[in-house]
Amino acid sequence: MPDGSFAHPQQRQFNPYTDNGGTILAIAGADFTVIAGDTRQSEGYSIQTRYAPKVFRLTDRAVLAVNGFAADGNMFVKKVKQRLEWYRHAHAKDMPLRAIARLIQTMLYAQRFFPYYVYNILGGIEEDGSGAVYSFDPVGSYEREACRAAGAAQSLVQPFLDNQIYFKNQKAAPGTSHPTHLPLSDVLSIVIDSFTSATERHIEVGDGLEIYVVVARGRSPQGIEGIRGVQELSAQPNGDRTFILRRELKKD
Amino acid sequence: MFLTRSEYDRGVNTFSPEGRLFQVEYAIEAIKLGSTTVGVRTPEGVVLGVEKRVQSPLLESSSIEKIMEIDRHLGCAMSGLTADARTMIDHARVTAQNHAFTYDEQIKVESVTQAVCDLALRFGESVHDEDAMMSRPFGVALLIAGIDELGPQLFHTDPSGTFVRYDAKAIGSGSEAAQSELQDKWHKQMTLQEAQILVLRVLKQVMEEKLDHHNVQLAQVTPTGGFEILDEVRLKEIVDIM
Amino acid sequence: MSIMEYNGGSVIAMVGKDCVAIASDLRLGNQALGISSNFQKIFQMTDRIFLGLPGLATDVTTLKETFRYRVNMYTIKEERELEPETFAHMVSSALYERRFGPYFIEPVMCGLQKTHTGEYKPFIAATDLIGCLNFAKDFVVAGTASTKLYGVAEGLWEPDLEPEDLFETCAQTLLNAVDRDAYSGWGAEVYVLTKDKVIRRTLKGRMD
Repeated sequence: MPDGSFAHPQQRQFNPYTDNGGTILAIAGADFTVIAGDTRQSEGYSIQTRYAPKVFRLTDRAVLAVNGFAADGNMFVKKVKQRLEWYRHAHAKDMPLRAIARLIQTMLYAQRFFPYYVYNILGGIEEDGSGAVYSFDPVGSYEREACRAAGAAQSLVQPFLDNQIYFKNQKAAPGTSHPTHLPLSDVLSIVIDSFTSATERHIEVGDGLEIYVVVARGRSPQGIEGIRGVQELSAQPNGDRTFILRRELKKD
Repeated sequence: MFLTRSEYDRGVNTFSPEGRLFQVEYAIEAIKLGSTTVGVRTPEGVVLGVEKRVQSPLLESSSIEKIMEIDRHLGCAMSGLTADARTMIDHARVTAQNHAFTYDEQIKVESVTQAVCDLALRFGESVHDEDAMMSRPFGVALLIAGIDELGPQLFHTDPSGTFVRYDAKAIGSGSEAAQSELQDKWHKQMTLQEAQILVLRVLKQVMEEKLDHHNVQLAQVTPTGGFEILDEVRLKEIVDIM
Repeated sequence: MSIMEYNGGSVIAMVGKDCVAIASDLRLGNQALGISSNFQKIFQMTDRIFLGLPGLATDVTTLKETFRYRVNMYTIKEERELEPETFAHMVSSALYERRFGPYFIEPVMCGLQKTHTGEYKPFIAATDLIGCLNFAKDFVVAGTASTKLYGVAEGLWEPDLEPEDLFETCAQTLLNAVDRDAYSGWGAEVYVLTKDKVIRRTLKGRMD
């Protein structure tokens, strides 16, 4: 209309959320935890970048993987880190893993009616020295588990993990039982296999893979130092140790 | 006592030229009028003891509450204007519960003490649109006992908002005599029972009345039992042993 | 509500060394409600061809009969045995006939194809609901648990599995995939086809 009026009512809407794809995964061992994520960030069919980390080191013994809407994820990690710093100043210690897990719940639930569109997986070492994985939904429901996959290829990876980590649908040989925790080398193989499989079948997964390994204080890093391209992130080797392992994934 | 007493002892938020806040100092003095309260730390736990001044035979001694629970692992004994302590302990309880809610762990003894002390200096005149603040300093001192990952601990707080950790501490009217007795008798490897007896003996020394299970109260924080106020039966047993 | 998810169910087929396997769950549901734990979705079309029909249950029944009819007619008219690859094209064209009012089925098939030298070569194929063929070399999946099947199969499958190993791989893939799918499960069956025998096994799995 020339006078600026409209013949028909019009509706406009702003959608504040995007799904940026990608997949994350964490597996707990007896005295270590592996937390991994691919590095592709996409929007629809476009790849925005081939290197956008989704896994972040929080403390000497805690690593957080964040998947979903990248803007929310990055802001969330920033806020968690800020809260950890405040806690350190108030209580003169690093926040324990289960405390971080509870903190994440309260932070997520605080946004119950405008949630962070993010799936979180927290991995690390518990106060008793055991490996632990905590998984969250976007509004803070959480659970401690031995393994968890989340994100675009969750439905591809999780049943594979059920089979390989929990030995679901498998019967142990007579007189034996399934191990409750696997050695590090087995876990790393499963993680890498999971991501190469997901990359093969899911368009939003690929480009690069970042694997964090947290080993409990005084426990053997089970030969991880000898693996190609491993980098140690921990400052002092007598505390809990964090390693990062990077791998390429297919870029098509 | 204060030779330089002047107009400066009126405003709670005005320093004297010598750099003193008289109202705070007076508040600290007020505690010295309160009943004697003793705390003793041992490797097995912390013991708190208070004298209950039963001023009248018609008074129900059980209604005098000078030791209170903050959380399962934290207790508190007071001396001075005990009404003021309610505000502080309320704050301590909320802080402890909030911590447990947010972090799924028990708050540290020092952290809860710090939280209480943060309150202590919130007096003075409120700024125009702010909620009215407290008009004067608290007239109470606390002994906060608790156990956390650093073991059994005992903290003392005063109206200035200062807090200090002690192995054994006495506050209130008989505190000077009590403190020197504690200094004499306390040793590193005390058992909990030795501490209970020490607390009672110290109280007995400074009390005017004859000590019995009606005019004292004992509480303890242990790794297994957490905070507990000893009931009359248990208290009587210890009084008898002493 | 998706018609493809109305009754639930999943099928997978895999290639091994001189053998093929096909497996399915046994659930028949009415959306979230379980109706039967003995609903077959795999049918033997000839001595050397198996067909899996996940999708809308009424179309499973219809297509099973349709293909039995068509295979018999082919065998009688042509006076020779139907080859798996030919059967795949038969399935494809039958579905494409209904291009604009399709059967809600995504067929999965497997068989042993006769070569020029007279040997048997493993064959698998799948189509979408309007008959677009997919001749994969490793495995094909379909049904409500398809994404899960892809993930597990991609992790477990390897080339040249012997019949017993192929059976195990196929069974494990199906079982673990359907356990993460609310619309599939309630029992399972596996067929392994070799040049001289067919092994059929029903599997014990979670019934929830």
